[in-house]
Amino acid sequence: MNATAGKLLRPGGPDERRAAVLAWMVVIQALCALFFIGDVVFDLYAGDGQAPGHLWLEGFVALVLVFGLGVLIVELRQLLARMERVTASLMAARGEMAEVIEAFFSDWGLTPAERDVALMILKGFDNESIAGIRGRAVGTIRAQSAAIYGKAGVDGRTQLLSLFMEELLAEPE
Amino acid sequence: MSMNSGGRPGARKYRVWDPLVRITHWGVALGVLLNAALTDPEGTLHEQVGYVVLGLVVLRLLWCIVGPRMARFAAFPPSPAAALAHVRDMLGGDRAVHLSHNPLGALMAYNLWLTLLVLSITGIMMGTVAFFGVEWVEEVHEAAYGWLMVSVALHVGGVLFDQWRTGVPLVRAMIDGRKAVARDRPVK
Ligand code: HEM
Repeated sequence: MNATAGKLLRPGGPDERRAAVLAWMVVIQALCALFFIGDVVFDLYAGDGQAPGHLWLEGFVALVLVFGLGVLIVELRQLLARMERVTASLMAARGEMAEVIEAFFSDWGLTPAERDVALMILKGFDNESIAGIRGRAVGTIRAQSAAIYGKAGVDGRTQLLSLFMEELLAEPE
Repeated sequence: MSMNSGGRPGARKYRVWDPLVRITHWGVALGVLLNAALTDPEGTLHEQVGYVVLGLVVLRLLWCIVGPRMARFAAFPPSPAAALAHVRDMLGGDRAVHLSHNPLGALMAYNLWLTLLVLSITGIMMGTVAFFGVEWVEEVHEAAYGWLMVSVALHVGGVLFDQWRTGVPLVRAMIDGRKAVARDRPVK
């Protein structure tokens, strides 16, 4: 399992892409609106014998562009505000999750090495990757994970994970 | 606000510049470069680039009112007193990092925006019948241009200096929107 795939709000994630597209649209539409407003003002001053219908049309286009610009700005503003909110609650949740994990690990009496391995198991790394990262033999990691599962009273990776999910999703008593 | 994913180990990442801030910044910088070095000052391209820069600055200033928290005037109020205090903090070895512009950088941002407004407005005036050939307009345009060049040099120098001082890659933050702040540095 790839531990970095599918992270919420990672750089270049869907929300960021949407925000970037919206920002480009705001910029381009603002310049277009400015162009038409400038054109109308210029025509009004120069008054070089253009049909009034032309002026009305340009004025109307300018108005529509400005209205659209307002809509885009509100949209972008809301998207950015939502991204900020999600990040803030994610941070809070992470802090609390870290505490929950810490509490479980202490409860089970894991050694420092087992804590590191258990954390990587929770993050979704397999034994081979953990061995690579920690510079240990795969056999060592396998033995350590067995010790972790034993201390936690579960029979494997999936059950270990579900312990934490249960804790997160359970109704508070 | 902070993001922990990726980046250098030991650095917290804060999303600070939204895409509109970044697009307007680099758009303005590109326009200034074009009009300072490449376009013919008498030509229409020079005028058109000037209009685009004006549009971008006006949009950014609007964003200072309706934009997200970090992009607003309130996040970096123009305050000479705060700038002085910031200089004192720097000399005193304060390690804190500002998430928005630091108070000195804020003054520079206002200076750049004002100068750009003066520059584009006098530029437009020079193209109108009423002010065509009027000397003081041209003089103000020239003076604003000189001042802008000095300011941009100070601006880029200031950015590089602060990048060195705080270890926060500021230029990268203006590109990908995130400031990476070392864990041992408090943020303000
Ligand atoms: C050439 C003309 C340039 C102009 C007129 C200009 C103008 C500005 C302005 C007005 C701001 C405030 C931005 C905002 O809040 O929206 C700003 C910020 C910034 N500019 Fe420029 N800039 C120019 C060139 C550059 C260059 C070449 C660089 C790269 C070295 C640069 C790097 C930055 C950075 C990093 C910031 C954010 C500073 C911070 O973190 O507080 N700028 N610039």
